[in-house]
Order: sequence, then C-alpha cells, then structure tokens
Amino acid sequence: MLVVFVSSVFGSEFLGLQLPEGKILEKTDTYIKLEVPKSHDEILKFYKDLLKNEKDIKYRDWAEMTYIEDDGARPWHSINIYKNQGQTTIVQVNKDKWSWIIGTLVLRYIAVFVVLVILMIALSISGQVFSRLFKEEEPKKV
Amino acid sequence: MTYNEILDLLRGTLETTGIWHFQWNVIVMWLIAFFFLYLAVVKKYEPLLLLPIGFGMFLVNFPKVPLMGWTEEGHGELLRIFYHYGLEWEVIPCVIFLGLGAMTDFGPLISNPKSLILGAGAQLGVFITFTGTVLAGFTLKEAASVGIIGGADGPTTIYLTQHLAPQLLGANALAAYSYMAMVPLIQPPIIKLLTTEQERRIKMKQLRPVSKREKIIFPIVCAGIIALLVPSVMPLMGMFMLGNFMRESGVVGRLSDTAQNALMNIVTIFLGVSVGATMTAENFLSHKPLFIFGLGMIDFMVCTAGGVITAKVMNLFLKEKINPIIGAAGVSAVPMAARVCQNLALKYDKTNYLLMHAMGPNLAGVIGSAAAAGMFIAMFN
Repeated sequence: MLVVFVSSVFGSEFLGLQLPEGKILEKTDTYIKLEVPKSHDEILKFYKDLLKNEKDIKYRDWAEMTYIEDDGARPWHSINIYKNQGQTTIVQVNKDKWSWIIGTLVLRYIAVFVVLVILMIALSISGQVFSRLFKEEEPKKV
Repeated sequence: MTYNEILDLLRGTLETTGIWHFQWNVIVMWLIAFFFLYLAVVKKYEPLLLLPIGFGMFLVNFPKVPLMGWTEEGHGELLRIFYHYGLEWEVIPCVIFLGLGAMTDFGPLISNPKSLILGAGAQLGVFITFTGTVLAGFTLKEAASVGIIGGADGPTTIYLTQHLAPQLLGANALAAYSYMAMVPLIQPPIIKLLTTEQERRIKMKQLRPVSKREKIIFPIVCAGIIALLVPSVMPLMGMFMLGNFMRESGVVGRLSDTAQNALMNIVTIFLGVSVGATMTAENFLSHKPLFIFGLGMIDFMVCTAGGVITAKVMNLFLKEKINPIIGAAGVSAVPMAARVCQNLALKYDKTNYLLMHAMGPNLAGVIGSAAAAGMFIAMFN
C-alpha cells in the first residue's frame, strides 16, 4: 500500500505534466519512466483529453510507441507511450532537451545545403549539356 | 427636453467617439507608426512596404475604428477582410513571389551554379537565431518564425510567420523589412571584419553567357527539385518559378508584365496595410517585439558572416578563387545586398565590378531562405 501511495504521490506530476496512476520504474532530472496498469489506448486517450485544449502538441504513431511532442515552451519535451501487448504499459516523460533542438537545427541546416547542392549539380549538368549542344550546332551553321 | 435627457444625449454622442475610449498605449503605437513612416518617406527605406505598414498601424490604433474587428453579423471589417483572405489564407506572399519570379533574371545563378552554396551558407543565422530565440523564452514555432528574418526575404518571413506564429506577424515583418533596408549599414563592417584587403581585391572571371533555352528550363528543373525535396515550400517556390517561366518563355508578355507590375503593386498595398493592421497596442506592446528586433539584427549579422565564411571555405578548394565579399549577398535582400557587395569591392579596386557575380548568391539566398522556411514548416507539420 505504501509503495502504491508513494508512487501515486510522486508520480502524479512531472515537470508540470499530470501523470497516470502507476509505479515509478526510473526517475532522474531529465525523465521519468512509469509502469501503468492500463492499455496503450487508454493512456493515449488520457493524454489526448488532458492536452486537448493545449497548443503546439504533436502526436506521432510509431511502430513501438506513440510519441507526443511539445513544440511550445513547456518544460517537458515528449511523452513516450510504449505499445505493450500486456495489461501494463510503459510511459516515459522526457524533459525539454537542448540536444534535440541543436540536433534538429544542425540537421536542417545541412538539409538546406543538400537541397541547394542538388540544384547546383542539376544546373551544372544542364549547363554542360547546353554548352555542348551549342558547340555542336555552331559548326553546322558555318 | 429635460436636463437629464440632454445629458444622456450628450453622453451617448460622446461614447460613440474615440475620445471617450482613449487609452495611453495608442500614443506609443502612433509614435512607432510615425517612426516607420519617417523611415519610408524621409529615409526612403523600403518605402513600398514600410509606408503602408506604418499607415496601417496608425489607422488601427484608434479606439472604436471599424477596421480590424468583426461586425455584429460576424463579417470582418475592411482591413480584417484584407488580412483574412490575403494573409491568413497565405495568398499574398505567394502572389508576391509570382511577381518576383517574373522580375528575376536567373542568368547569373545559372552561369555560376556554385553560388548556390553561398545562398545555403548564408542561412547560418536563421538556425543560430532560432536557438537564441528559444533561450529568450519563445516557443519553437515562434523561434522558427523569428529565425527566418535573417534570410532577408520579406514574403518568406511573412509566409512562415503566418504559418507558425501569426501573433508575431507584425513585429517579424517590420524587423525583416527594416533590416533589409539597412543592409548597406549592417553588412560592410562584417565583411571587412572577416576578409583581408587582398581577398576583397580578388577579381572574378567574367560569367559565361546563358542561353535562352537554359533560362526557360531553369524554372522547371528548380521547381521539380524543390517540389521533391521540400514540398512544404512549394506554394512560394511554385509561384516564383511560374512567374519566372512566364518571363523567360517570352510567349505571355502580357501576363508577365501584369505579374511584375500591376498585380505586384496591388498585392503590395494589401500586404503592407494588412501587416500594419495586426499591430494594435494590445498585440504589439510587450517585450517580444523588442526581442525580435534585437535578435533580428544578430540574425542578419550572422547570416552575412555565414555567407562570407562559406565563400572563404570554398576558396580553399577552388582553383579559380571567388571574392568572399559576394558571400554576403547570400542573405537574399535582392538586389540591395548585391549592390552593397559591388560598392564595397569598388572601394578597393575601381575596376572590380562584382554586381553580376553577387547576383548569383543573392538569388540563391531567395531559394535558400525558402528552403529553410520549408524545413521549419516540415518540422512542425
């Protein structure tokens, strides 16, 4: 009883986000991991109801989990609801992390280069093709 | 008529005036509006946009004016209608891109495709400012919309901001156009700081002539590649390339002429006044616009530095060196940034004409900032 009580007290909120009733498996400054005696769909519904009026929340359905991401300025970054087959579901709430922000920015900056490099290659190839065509056409005219 | 009736009548009449509902904060907004009108009229800084923006801002900051609200029947008032159909529906920035496409000669870019790299390098500030904006307490979407200011592309800034953080539209648009107008002041010190005099004197080989066929094919190839890689930005780039195709094909002179003149002028009026109308005292007077102006300045500086540094890095690998000054033109701001590069190069060598060389990265900057905007849209969709 004490364990359940302690779990429910400490597990009720993390970084301002309400948590479903469950047993805390791991807790650090950056994340909390719970085992919740509910199905994946029940927990997903719990969070959809909880966050229905909130802005900048994105839901992603991945093979192994449903990933709820905050694009706003909340202290938490994501909620991972793992797709377990059993009676219990693992839920992990992660703190907002700079590594994600920097990582995604670096990736997108590189992506801008990639887009323009592909365009550059296309232009270079078409430029060469056209110059050759014109060189071939010129003697004919003469 | 009794005394009370007269008093009631007077009071009723007074209540319909703006004086009765006057609040001090509108005076602050008038001053801000006058400042931008001053920049447009006296200093001639981006007058085509700062003038309607400033006047729109002035008009909506009077109590009880039926301009940006909703009627009792639920219809929008005049400027609300412009804003709703023009900006909320994201129509105007795309139509402006159509006109810009019809005005643009991509010859310098086609003849020197390497300049596309400079356009990408100059997006550095967009991503660095994003980080700073998040640190300042903005949401990720707001940070993306502030970051794109450094791309120095007004319609792209407006398009992205409307898409991700419409509450910042006025401040972002103002910052973008103000700093674009100040490119001649912002860029030269950064270029000088990052280059040696010897580098600034580098003369570049004359660009090869570009055939009509290449110019016709360019918008098709460019639209196809961007549609495949960054589809989210195609409303902008698709219109841009359509406008350019109309121009280069030479068979729809009337349409091309309309797109680059009459249509462009009409939508510019609606764009400016709608953006200005979003800046009511209750929306604008907070710490955020101040941050946006501060971060926007840093953004422009880092983007300029990004372009110059990219040019210097490219020179490590290139046999025919490029003048790193033209890297600064990668921030877009067509054609002012290219002119700044030309003027700076002429200071060090009276025979070094860089304008056409700088136009390449300048146009690449337009594509680069649109690509960066597309990356942000994709990030949040």
